[in-house]
Amino acid sequence: MLPQESPSGELPMNTQVMRLLSGVSVHGDQHLAEVERDLVQMDVLLDEAIKKLCTNFMAIHHAVDRQQEALNGLLAGSIPAAECAARFEALRGEIGQHVGAAVTGLQFQDMTSQLIGRMVQHLAGLRDVFGALDTNGAALPESGSEALLALLGDIGSRVGVRSSGVRSTVNQRHMESGDIELF
Amino acid sequence: MSKTILAVDDSGSLRQMLSFSLKAAGYGVVEAVDGQDGLDKARKQTVDLVLTDQNMPGMDGLSLIKALRGMKNYQNVPILMLTTETGDDMKAMGRAAGANGWLVKPFDPARLTEVVKKLIG
Repeated sequence: MLPQESPSGELPMNTQVMRLLSGVSVHGDQHLAEVERDLVQMDVLLDEAIKKLCTNFMAIHHAVDRQQEALNGLLAGSIPAAECAARFEALRGEIGQHVGAAVTGLQFQDMTSQLIGRMVQHLAGLRDVFGALDTNGAALPESGSEALLALLGDIGSRVGVRSSGVRSTVNQRHMESGDIELF
Repeated sequence: MSKTILAVDDSGSLRQMLSFSLKAAGYGVVEAVDGQDGLDKARKQTVDLVLTDQNMPGMDGLSLIKALRGMKNYQNVPILMLTTETGDDMKAMGRAAGANGWLVKPFDPARLTEVVKKLIG
């Protein structure tokens, strides 16, 4: 059954209140769900990035130790120069690979800062939804009056207007290097 | 003489990583903090390749590419997008704007320099 309209064409107060509460709930939930999604994604990216950085930092440290051993062997004359040169070359390549992986891991800041920026926009949207409910301390019009119905209608539409979405620019779920496509 | 690459990204840490990786491969690097800064630097000095982010405050990557392609000395300069964006619609827009390739972040230095080498030697 359709709700009865008032003589001025507005919906009855109980319908207006229900619509308002529903709007606050839906839009508030949307903002919070997006913030939750971004937090989970950020947690995954940070976890992978720190693991990648730790692993490669330790590997670089280990390779530098082996470089020092080779150098000591060369200075002591226990390792032939040709063998030592080959070891240095191999270690150089190994260190380069670990540094490259660390550079990939270090890019977490770029992605997480975009996610944080998006979360801030959603939190601002949530604040706006609650802000739309504020009557600025003015006394509410009398219950059942047309002025109250108009006020509820106005608040309801403001809640809807202030809840526009924020497009996600970060969809990465891992800290592995991304695809390359040449046109 | 080494080739010069213009690296445009609003993230300071990413510019640092790009600069580190490209310089290690023997390229010169000019850094820019956003699209407008990139355009200003491209006007002052013609570079051999442009590597740009998409989402930046002010002028974004797509607008930068369109502006560069409108300049006579940038009509044939390779331009690569390096972005977190993965959508086909964005890639299509990049291609239509004049980008030569799309690289999704995070980048691997070896793979990045391989692509750059392929394009400018």
